[in-house]
Amino acid sequence: MRETFTKGMARNIYYGGGVFFFLVLIGLTVDTVKSLPKTDNSENMTEQVAAGKRLWEVNNCIGCHTLLGEGAYFAPELGNVYTRFGESTEAIKGFIKSRPVEGIPGRRSMPQFNLSDEELEELAQFLKYVDGVKTARDWPPNVQG
Amino acid sequence: MEVDEVQLKRASRASLVSLSNLTVLPVIGFIILLLLYKKTAPDTIDRYYAVIGIKINLLAAVALLLVSGLMVVMGGFESHMSWIYMLSYFVTAHALFILVATWALVRSWSGKKLR
Amino acid sequence: MKYESQGVAKLYFIAAIGLFVGQILFGAIMGLQYVMGDFLFPEIPFNVARMVHTNLLIVWLLFGFMGSAYFLIPEESERELYSPLLAKIMFWIFLVAGALTILGYLLVPYAQLADLTMNDLLPTMGREFLEQPTITKIGIVIVALAFLFNIGMTILTGRKTVITLVLLTGLVGLAVFFLFSFYNPDNIVLDKYFWWFVVHLWVEGVWELIMASLLAYVLIKVTGVDREVIEKWLYIIIAMALISGLIGTGHHFYWIGTPDYWQWLGSVFSALEPIPFFMMTLFAFNVVNKRRRDHPNKAAVLWALGTAVMAFLGAGVWGFLHTLAPVNYYTHGTQVTAAHGHMAFYGAYVMVVLTMISYAMPIMRGQKAANETAQKLEIHSFWLMTISMVFITLFLTVAGFVQTYLQRYSDEPQSFMVVQEQLATWYWLREAAGVVFLLGLFLYIYSFFAKGKEVEFVEE
Repeated sequence: MRETFTKGMARNIYYGGGVFFFLVLIGLTVDTVKSLPKTDNSENMTEQVAAGKRLWEVNNCIGCHTLLGEGAYFAPELGNVYTRFGESTEAIKGFIKSRPVEGIPGRRSMPQFNLSDEELEELAQFLKYVDGVKTARDWPPNVQG
Repeated sequence: MEVDEVQLKRASRASLVSLSNLTVLPVIGFIILLLLYKKTAPDTIDRYYAVIGIKINLLAAVALLLVSGLMVVMGGFESHMSWIYMLSYFVTAHALFILVATWALVRSWSGKKLR
Repeated sequence: MKYESQGVAKLYFIAAIGLFVGQILFGAIMGLQYVMGDFLFPEIPFNVARMVHTNLLIVWLLFGFMGSAYFLIPEESERELYSPLLAKIMFWIFLVAGALTILGYLLVPYAQLADLTMNDLLPTMGREFLEQPTITKIGIVIVALAFLFNIGMTILTGRKTVITLVLLTGLVGLAVFFLFSFYNPDNIVLDKYFWWFVVHLWVEGVWELIMASLLAYVLIKVTGVDREVIEKWLYIIIAMALISGLIGTGHHFYWIGTPDYWQWLGSVFSALEPIPFFMMTLFAFNVVNKRRRDHPNKAAVLWALGTAVMAFLGAGVWGFLHTLAPVNYYTHGTQVTAAHGHMAFYGAYVMVVLTMISYAMPIMRGQKAANETAQKLEIHSFWLMTISMVFITLFLTVAGFVQTYLQRYSDEPQSFMVVQEQLATWYWLREAAGVVFLLGLFLYIYSFFAKGKEVEFVEE
C-alpha cells in the first residue's frame, strides 16, 4: 500500500461502497418480492398449508432434513419428496405415521411424532406446496434430491 | 545486500506477478515473470524474487497439473473416485501455493529475503 | 490492564470457553450418529444434538464478541466502561437465558417447548439456526440493546478510533439484522429469502466487520505497527467485504424460487468474496513481518496469523469452491456445504475470539503474557485444533464430492440413504478428527492452569 493511496480514500470506498451496495440489495429485494408470485406457488397457499408449515417448524424437521437444499444434511431432501413419493400425500403420511418409537437398530431413524390424522394431512399438504415452488433449472437435479 | 527503490519495486512486482500466475492470470503471469527476470542483475533482491516466483510456479505446475493429471490417468479416466481425489488434492495444494506466494509477496515488500 | 472495567470481559470469556466445550461434545455425538444411526436414539435425536451444537456456537461466539468489545473499547476510548454493572447484569441474564434454552432443547420435545413458550403468539421457531423460542429471541434483543447502549456510550464519550467505530458498526448491524428472525411468513420462498438476511448478512457481512476490527486491534498491540497503516488496511478489507458480500447474498437465492438474475449476480459477487479474506491474510502477514517489537505473547501472534489464514481457506477457498451457480446446482445442500461451514466458522469466528482471549486473558490475570509452559501448551492446542479442523474439512469435502456424484451427477442417481451408507468411511475419519479436536480443546483449557517460568519482557 503506497502513500498515494490514503486512509481517507480507503474510508470513502468503505462508506461509499457499503451504502451503494446496500441500496442495490434493497432495490433487488423489492424487485424479487414483486416478481415472486410467478414462482412461489402462492396460488396454492391454503390455511392447511400454513398450519403444515407451523408443524414443520415446531417439530424441527429442518434439524435433520434439507428443504430446497437448506437445513441439515442427515436425512433426505424434502423439497421434492411429493414427486419422489409418486405425487401421493398418502405415501408421505404413511411414512411419517409408521416410524417406530424406538427407532430402527443400527440405523438413522426418524422420531415418531404422534401427529393426528389432521396434522398429518396439513404437513403433507405443506410438502406438496413446497414441491410446487418453481425453482431455477427445476432444482434439485433429479428425483433423489 | 544493497537495495535501491527500482529493485524494491521490481521485486514486489515479481512477487505480485507470481501470485497472479497462481490465481487470476495463469500462463500470462508466468510470461511476464520471465520478462521481469530478464531485466534483473545477479545478486539483487529483484533477481532473488523473480527466481523465487519462477520456482514457486514451476513447482506448482508440477504439483497441480502433472500430479493431478497422473492421479486421473492412473486412477482411471472413467473412475469417479480418481476425479474426486484429484479435485480435493488440487484445491488443497493450490491454496497452499497461494499462501506461500503471499508470504513471498509480503517479504518482498520489506526488501528482505524469505529467511 | 489500563482500565479496571476491562475486567468484565473475563466473565464473558470464561462462559464462552465453557459453552465451546459443550458445542464440541455435541458435535462429537452428532458425528457418531452419522455412522451409528441409533446412538442415543430416541433420547437425543440428531436434530436436538444439532440444535445444541449450532446454537451453542452462536451463543458462545456472541459471548466472545461481547467480551472482546468490553475489553477493547475502554482501552481504545481511553475511559472506563460506561457501566460495568450493566455489563455484569447482562452477562448473567444472557447466560441464564442461554442455559435455559439449551436445557429446554434437551429435556422436553421441541414441539412441547414451542407450546410452553407460546410460540403460537409469534411463531419464529423451527428455522435453521433460529430455533430459539421467541421469548429467548426477545431476550437476545434486550441483551444486545443494553450491550450496545453500554459500549455506545463509552465510545461516543471517549476517544473515537477507527477500530471502535468499525466494531460498533458491526455490532449494531448484528443486532439490526437479527430483527429479521421475527419475520416468519407462511410463504416458504419469502421466509427463506429473509431468513438469509439474518444468516448471510451476519456471517458474510457484519460479522466480518467485527472480525476485522478485533484482528486489527490485536495486531496493533502485538506488532507495534503504526495505527495509521493498520487502519487503512482495516477500511479496505471491510470495504471489500461489503462490496462483495452484500450482493453476494445472491448465492443463496439460486434454488429457492427467486428470479433467475440471482444466478448471475450471486455467482459474480460471491466469486469476489474470497478477496477480503485474502486481504486479511496479506494484512496479517504484512504487519507481523513489519513488526516493531517481539511481543512476549507468542501464542496470541500465532492465533492472529492462524485466524487470517484459516478464514481465507475456510471462508474464501472453500466458499469459492461451491459458490458458482453451475457448480452449486450439484453441490447445494451436500456435505460440501458442511465442509465449508466447519472450516469457515472455525477459521473466521472461533479463531478470532480465541485470538482476543489469548491476548486479553493474561493481561486480565495481571501478566503481560502467559508463562512459557502455558504458552507452549496453548500453541500445541492451536495446532491440534487447527490441523484436526483441516482434516474434518477434507474428509467432509471428499464425502461431499462422492455424495454429489452418486446422488446428483451420475447417470443412475442413487437415493440419499443408499449414498450415505457408502460414505461411512469418510464419516468415521471425520469423527476421529473431531475427537482430536476435542482433545486439543481440553489441552487449550488446561493451558490456563499450567504453571511455569514467567516470560521475560523488556518494557519499551
